[in-house]
Amino acid sequence: MKMICSNGRLTIFRIWMPFIIGLGVLFLILGVCNITLDNYTLHIITVIGIYIIAATSLNLTNGYTGLFSLGHAGFMAIGAYSSVLLTYKVSLRGAYNLPLLPVILGGPDFQWPFLPALITGGILAAVAAIIVGLPVLRLRGHYLAVASLGFMIIVTTLAKGMRFLTRGASGIQVISHYTNIWNVYTWVAITIFVIWRILQSAPGRAMLAIRESEVSAQSQGINLMKYKLYSFVVGAFFAGIAGGLYAHFARSIRPYEFSFFMTFFIVMMPIIGGSRNIFGPALGAILLITIRYILKPVEEGLEIYGLVELIYATLLIAIMLWRSGGILSRKSDSS
Amino acid sequence: MVFSASYIFQQIFNGIVLGSIYALLALGMAVIYGILGLINFAHGALITVGAFCFYFLFSVYHWSFILVIILSVALGGLMGFVLEAIGYRKLRGGPGVSLLITSLGIYIFIENAVKLLVSPQPYAFSMPPFLDKIISTFITFRLIDLFIIATTITIMICFGIFVKRNKVGIAMRGISESVETARMVGINVNQVIIWSFIVASAIAALTGFMWGSKYGQISYDMGFMPGVIAFVSIVIGGIGSISGAVLGGFLIGLIQTFSIGFLPPGWTMYRDAIVFALLIIVLLIKPTGIMGRKESI
Amino acid sequence: MKTILLKTESIEVCYGIIPAVRDLSLEVREGQIVALIGANGAGKSTTLKALAGILHPRQGKIFYKEKEITKLSADRRVPLGITLVPEGRQLFSTLTTKENLRLGAYCYTETEFKEGLGWIYSIFPILKERENQIAGTLSGGEQQMLAFGRAIISKPELLLLDEPSLGLAPLIIKEVYEIIKKIKSTGINIILVEQNIKMAMQVTDYMYVMEAGEMTIQGEPLKVMKDEDIRKAYLG
Repeated sequence: MKMICSNGRLTIFRIWMPFIIGLGVLFLILGVCNITLDNYTLHIITVIGIYIIAATSLNLTNGYTGLFSLGHAGFMAIGAYSSVLLTYKVSLRGAYNLPLLPVILGGPDFQWPFLPALITGGILAAVAAIIVGLPVLRLRGHYLAVASLGFMIIVTTLAKGMRFLTRGASGIQVISHYTNIWNVYTWVAITIFVIWRILQSAPGRAMLAIRESEVSAQSQGINLMKYKLYSFVVGAFFAGIAGGLYAHFARSIRPYEFSFFMTFFIVMMPIIGGSRNIFGPALGAILLITIRYILKPVEEGLEIYGLVELIYATLLIAIMLWRSGGILSRKSDSS
Repeated sequence: MVFSASYIFQQIFNGIVLGSIYALLALGMAVIYGILGLINFAHGALITVGAFCFYFLFSVYHWSFILVIILSVALGGLMGFVLEAIGYRKLRGGPGVSLLITSLGIYIFIENAVKLLVSPQPYAFSMPPFLDKIISTFITFRLIDLFIIATTITIMICFGIFVKRNKVGIAMRGISESVETARMVGINVNQVIIWSFIVASAIAALTGFMWGSKYGQISYDMGFMPGVIAFVSIVIGGIGSISGAVLGGFLIGLIQTFSIGFLPPGWTMYRDAIVFALLIIVLLIKPTGIMGRKESI
Repeated sequence: MKTILLKTESIEVCYGIIPAVRDLSLEVREGQIVALIGANGAGKSTTLKALAGILHPRQGKIFYKEKEITKLSADRRVPLGITLVPEGRQLFSTLTTKENLRLGAYCYTETEFKEGLGWIYSIFPILKERENQIAGTLSGGEQQMLAFGRAIISKPELLLLDEPSLGLAPLIIKEVYEIIKKIKSTGINIILVEQNIKMAMQVTDYMYVMEAGEMTIQGEPLKVMKDEDIRKAYLG
């Protein structure tokens, strides 16, 4: 709380005012969109919102702390599945072979309301991050990447295997449609705000120091594991939220969706949009998803499958070679 | 459940065949890792390229087997050369993560280029009939399995001799210890790196043919898991140790085969997860791997 | 007057943004052993690295046999005949003695290498005994000899030695300097960087004294030693 409630009046002006004004402007824009745009476009805007949450939270770990994690989709899966299992309509559970809730969680006649379930999904993802993070975050660079990739594969394999809980490979369908453009963008605002505040605070500075040089950071007395875990867990929490929002939007989830490609899709967003800017991941999300929605029909129409991913890969390689900080970076950020 | 002796040997044999393919991939990847510090995820894409090249030249255009093998391997080598020149050379010496990301980007590019130019659907892959002969003795196998094992052993032996006797081979080992010292002594490091890429990529293309033959099917995404498993082999077997990487490859081949062969049927899908669980365990207990050298993880 | 083999013109060499060597002009003539003397941090090693091509001067030029080599990288200088034995020797510690030597003679064919190997073994017989031993397991003195061997197997014209006596026992240092004299007698020119003036004086024909990145005195050893300041600083 220290980062939000510091010195009274100054805080209100510098932090809360911009936030509330920003929020107000955002909602104004959304309101206008809601009235003027058609359902399909609103649908796309909502999807973009979900990925902005995922990408921005990933960037805290990957971009700002310098930990190359490929496990984000695994956390989204945890958030998705747990929130769904909590909110699933009681009347449908039997028909779809999903278990009824045990008494501690509300009993057989209970289904959770959306917000608590969503947050619980995020918390469970965060817990998983602690468990996985403690051993894995000691590793560097490519080891961390492959270990986190391994974690993601283990999670999706478990989702496929634990049929009694998750219906295995067939996934879960007929999920209640709780997600809409308003709660998604509320969460977008919360995510960006929280991460922005973290970066301005002492833990955030520690994370940046770790990215620059672990050795220097350590010699300055920074407890590496503590702050790596901090960013990893926060990232996982919001990934879980994004997963829950995703599940209640797409209304159906399958283990194979939370694949390496989804993770890499999200990883690409801050890299392309700008990994050193709080809005970079959002830009990346908007760019990549817009490209997808415009070009997928072309791809299918002309039967040139793989076009969209090819364009993504080209963009990524181009950025890595010529503007490694991403679109929203300064020229000085490139090597 | 009790397993018969022949069943056990069958599984061991199959494991060695699969392990041979992984070992070859791990060898190529370990060489590149040794001299560049780069995990070349694009390595897996070369498997796909090699397999499809063989498919088109052999099964569609019906060119002779030997010629097609040579051309597929050459194509792999050429692609390795191009990748190094275009994708990696500029990023040398930069943060390791950049190379990693770029190699992943290159993998996705090649995978989807194949998907786009060829087909999103898998193709049935057939090998020359003389390799398809089934031999039934104590265990059952096809000649292709012997081909895979024999080729792998040959390549390993040649490689072993090469790095001990040939000056470029020795230079490779020198470079993987210290690039600076190598330059100081007058070694043309660029040249050695280029050749390493060409040879490693050529071998990867060859494994494409092997993989297609073993599984009877090729698809645009066939290279992903083998590529990742090659990296896991390197880590488990020991970073900085070529023989460790090869050992890791065989080990994983055996483990995967055993997990299909000996675990109850419902557990088959866990075959990849088991490999990663093993990876995480190794990273926790002995991060430098089974035969690992000094390297801070 | 013997011909000038190597010449620098006002070179400035930096570590990052800090200039370690400023406005340095020196000459090495054929048949000479030249020494760069100075305290720790005077810039001697930096100069040598610039001559070897490991560092590049920010300003000034380096000429070798009348050709400018300022921007040439280290691996391109070796074929020209310039080799370096760096501070700390920098052997390939995971490779064997013979393999280290092979890499020193990288541009040689196998037959040329065999010849070169024979020559090196005649100067350093102990290396033949340790032929297949991993370099990292050799003793300090043996490692120094291997470092020498690796640097001269390609029969360079100019050998750069960076603090060859560093970290060695006094008896070994004597051996090392005997070897330096031997190498000189085979016709190889040497530029030597040393803190140990007493030993250096025994072999050099010409000295440059450096202080804080700049050259202060130069001349033949006896002349330099007569200087009051030098006597106070180095001979105690």
